[in-house]
Amino acid sequence: MSVAQVEAREVQLEALPSGLWADTWRRLRHNPAAIVGFVLVGIFLFVAIFAPLIAPEDPRSGDLSRLGGTCCPGPSADYWFGLDQQGRDVFSRIVYGARYSLLIGIVSVAVGLSVGLFFGAIAGYFGGWVDSLIMRCTDIMLSIPGLLLAIGIVAVLGQGIWQIMIAVGVTQIPIFARLLRGSILATRESDYVLAARSVGVPKRSILASHILPNSISPVIVQGTLALATAIIDVAALGFLGLGPQDPATPEWGTMLTDTTRYLQTAPHLALIPGVAIVISVLGFNLIGDGLREALDPKFRGRG
Amino acid sequence: MGRVSLRRILLLLATALLVVAAAGCGGGDDGGGGGEGGTLVFAGAADPVVIDGALVSDGESIRVITQLFETLINLKPGTTELAPGLATEWEVSPDALTYTFTLREGVKFHDGTDFNAEAVCFNFDRWYNFKGPLQNPSASYYYSAFFGGFKNNESEDLSDPLYESCTAENPTTAVIKLTRPSASLLGALVQQAFSIASPKALQEFEADKGTLDEEVGFRPTGTFGTEHPIGTGPFEFVSWTREDRLVLKRFEDYWGEKAKIDELIIRPIADNAARLQALQADEIQGYDLVEPQDIQTIDGDENLKILDRPAFNVAYVGINQAKPPMDKLEVRQAVAHGLDRQAVVDNFYGGRGVVAQQMMPPEVEGYADSVTEWPHDPAKAKQLLQQAGLTLPVEIEFWYPSDVSRPYMPNPKNNFEAFAASLNKSGFRVVPKTAPWDPDYLGRVDEGNAGHLHLIGWTGDFADADNFIGTFFQDFNPQFGFRDKQLFKMLDDAEVESDRQARIDLYKQANQRIMETLPAVPYAHTKPALAFRQDVEGFVPSPTTNELFSTVTIGGS
Amino acid sequence: MLRFVVRRLLLLIPILIGLSILVFLWIRALPAGPAQSLLGERATPETIAQIEEQYGLDRPIHIQYWRYLKTVAQGDLGTTIRTRRPVTDELQERFPATIELALAALLFATLLGIPLGFVAAKRYGTWIDHSSLVASLIGISIPIFFLAILLKYVFAVQLGWLPTVGRISVLIDLEHPTNFYTIDALIAGDLYAFWDVIKHLILPAIALGSIPLAVTARITRAAVLDVQNEDYVRTARAKGLPPRVVDVRHIFRNALLPITTIIGLQTGLLLSGAVLTETVFAFPGMGTWLVEAIRQRDFPVLQGGILFVSFVFVIVNLIVDISYALINPRIRVS
Repeated sequence: MSVAQVEAREVQLEALPSGLWADTWRRLRHNPAAIVGFVLVGIFLFVAIFAPLIAPEDPRSGDLSRLGGTCCPGPSADYWFGLDQQGRDVFSRIVYGARYSLLIGIVSVAVGLSVGLFFGAIAGYFGGWVDSLIMRCTDIMLSIPGLLLAIGIVAVLGQGIWQIMIAVGVTQIPIFARLLRGSILATRESDYVLAARSVGVPKRSILASHILPNSISPVIVQGTLALATAIIDVAALGFLGLGPQDPATPEWGTMLTDTTRYLQTAPHLALIPGVAIVISVLGFNLIGDGLREALDPKFRGRG
Repeated sequence: MGRVSLRRILLLLATALLVVAAAGCGGGDDGGGGGEGGTLVFAGAADPVVIDGALVSDGESIRVITQLFETLINLKPGTTELAPGLATEWEVSPDALTYTFTLREGVKFHDGTDFNAEAVCFNFDRWYNFKGPLQNPSASYYYSAFFGGFKNNESEDLSDPLYESCTAENPTTAVIKLTRPSASLLGALVQQAFSIASPKALQEFEADKGTLDEEVGFRPTGTFGTEHPIGTGPFEFVSWTREDRLVLKRFEDYWGEKAKIDELIIRPIADNAARLQALQADEIQGYDLVEPQDIQTIDGDENLKILDRPAFNVAYVGINQAKPPMDKLEVRQAVAHGLDRQAVVDNFYGGRGVVAQQMMPPEVEGYADSVTEWPHDPAKAKQLLQQAGLTLPVEIEFWYPSDVSRPYMPNPKNNFEAFAASLNKSGFRVVPKTAPWDPDYLGRVDEGNAGHLHLIGWTGDFADADNFIGTFFQDFNPQFGFRDKQLFKMLDDAEVESDRQARIDLYKQANQRIMETLPAVPYAHTKPALAFRQDVEGFVPSPTTNELFSTVTIGGS
Repeated sequence: MLRFVVRRLLLLIPILIGLSILVFLWIRALPAGPAQSLLGERATPETIAQIEEQYGLDRPIHIQYWRYLKTVAQGDLGTTIRTRRPVTDELQERFPATIELALAALLFATLLGIPLGFVAAKRYGTWIDHSSLVASLIGISIPIFFLAILLKYVFAVQLGWLPTVGRISVLIDLEHPTNFYTIDALIAGDLYAFWDVIKHLILPAIALGSIPLAVTARITRAAVLDVQNEDYVRTARAKGLPPRVVDVRHIFRNALLPITTIIGLQTGLLLSGAVLTETVFAFPGMGTWLVEAIRQRDFPVLQGGILFVSFVFVIVNLIVDISYALINPRIRVS
């Protein structure tokens, strides 16, 4: 290849990342499942952020006199999702629960992402024994099934919302690490990067403008999916009784533990938080899935 | 091509559905034909701790122990009246220091050894001689509660032993001597803590071996209470797989009326909803600790029925005065005003509870005619806290047990949440704390390690004020962490007072003092419900929740 | 081929060692401290001295680790706090239960998932395809414990078709030589018991297998789609081979590759999910064992359980890798 051609190729490379995003966005817009996902997540975010404005009541304080001696009034005009066994408005609890789930999702993924990407980048970039060491560590972490690892961490940290968020975050570290490392490796060996290197483009700028942008897309997909997983995993830990020690906390998973005993008499108490979890998680999964399809070069050909 | 595949899949699904439907026809497992025989499966809420009457205080262990072991004196089924048990007659000396028991003849232990006066004295002496970890209240709660202390007390908190000696004058006469007169020994002896076990088994299987965990209490390590609980009762032990089932079978050489069913299986099903579902599916034929919200469902189901026990318990919020600021009277008064007891009783007891004003039920003699009342008044509570010189909100640790349902407290979490909410409105800031019922929670409460406030209760074992307030407050009790010499004296005096009216008056005074000084805040008396399949007959609910299954029949008429 | 297997086996060793180090450090990181955590007591001075001697707690950390490694290698995982039995004994009772459940779930997932994915791929672009995608997405979005609760509520409580809790009806008396209740029932020739055990497995297996079902269906669909357009398939069709033969001999066989990998990878999911499913159905397997252990701070159980489960997980992954290599010659050679 002549120098001119390589330089022209370089220009093309610069253009690629932005072309990639526009392309991706276009595909997403035409994917009905992804659109549904966006709508669901949009609702979820809206509810979570504006919770105090949407919820008619304080989710933690109940009024036992509203129960009339039995549990529990179901959905009605006054209380859209009914009341729970402490006389609290379930609708308000679900709304604030969205906040908790959002917080949980973000913190867990943030922990997993930041630490995981850091190690993944190092491993991918430096290669050699650094890479091997980090990969062996992730292998070990991955050899313990996710929930058990989280339970083990909670055993050390103790019970509570922050503890389970960190525990779930830690279980996601190896996934992100491997992902970024694999992505970097793949990009590193690709033709255009080799070409750029052979022309003498400095390592740093190769990393910045070629390797990282192209490696980032699977991370974004994984991030969205990780958010969904985090919400479910924290709910699972809460369900097992490892969550907040204060039972008044309006967290969806904990709300499920408390209310399975009422399946015969007040099923709305268990069904509504469960459906809320499913809807939010589904939203993130749909987006993540849509992103994956949009970014995958194999599918791009098929249209 | 495609069509065939799709059809095949649909066929597969249809077959699968048919299989599942056929599964339904497999249906109920009944306990066997009408009347005699068969197996009864009964569910409690948790596994027993250990099957050794001297070492437990939890209802599940006592339920099993009641089938396997017997006491010198029984209660007439369904009542709190005394009746002959392993002792047919008894004589009390005029100074109430010597009790002579004439023992039943021809009684055998499950291992074939003879029941006699020597066996009785062996048991009494065993308890008296408890050493080390066995003296800890988490091990020998009932013994130290009634008898005060042991031969060699290892702790200051134990008092002088009430028991002096037991002599086997002849195989059918056992004489028990006390160090000071007691008016309630006979009543106390109906408790399973004083049941008679086979001396051979006690020794062979090292019933007294165990260890002590500072935080959580006593743990037995011998196999007497886990594999060889040998007594004289209508059932004998077959096997015990924890978290699965405990199997008992009819004891063919029982001295009295033999058990009507062949086999009794007791399963621990922690989840209340699961217990109900298992009953509806006929996987079990009865269960205890029915949750209030399920009572309607059961009543409405023609295959099931509810049996009520007479009310004989008290649910209370315990206060540990060893943890400041609970040592201040105003703070305890604030707690009493801060708890919304009526709301809890109205909503969480299925209509079967009443608000408790004293630490014992009204049916027991010694119930005071009137005591200080503590209506729910958050404003007053805040005032009192400020009077005590504290800055609001006052932070306190409030413990409740998880994974458990008690007759006096069907759903601890519900009670806790409601109480915490009302306390939070009354100038407190509640820090919720929880632990699994056994062994953690019970151990913590017994040792005074359960924060400032804790939820617990008590079902009476015999109809005597001593069994309630005597058990709680007669001596220093780490659970409550206080020394009120005046109250201790009142209860000590009442215990030995032989004149019935004087005794009643003393207990009335004690109850008044209790509701003034507030070592605890009682909140409910309830009628705990049991649920059974319609065809289970012969079960007699007892106020003490100790019921025999030997009179039960399943099915038929 | 042999070299490949040997290489993978050798890779196993650092992972297992790393795992043991992790668990070793974990025990020491516990808030209660290693001695109390492992024995549940802080009793008399003699017992303390005994503990220290046994675990070498006063010795430098690498010696402690060495002793720990030795005891574990000998198969001694300690004694449980709650029941005072050897952890390995309880493991022997609990583990087969979870394996039985996991296999039932896997069976459900593959028997249903592969055909569904296959059909979806064949019907690429139609409503069947789209709805199967959506269905599988919903499948992975439902928390396992919620699905378990729903199934239990509908089929066990409301309809009463299947049992609510346990592995087997209380009334059935069965010997347990293997602790795999299905096998035990067959050994005893007791068909009623066998059927009863199956009934107890159905709902938990469906709940546990829901996610593997969704994933298997998707992967099958994707794999079939990929393979369908490969050259050799077009050649086969051009040759005039009947469509069914093309399906089975070429498409299916080659799609098997990624499908097998996925099945292997489900193990981790199955083991995690078992914890949740077992709790809802009071199924006495590893899941409930570990949950009870963490609630009651029974750390020997947690240590033994996590170590053992991870060990199994690693072995299963190894087997999957090897079978993958067996099916795909390309891997073998590289």
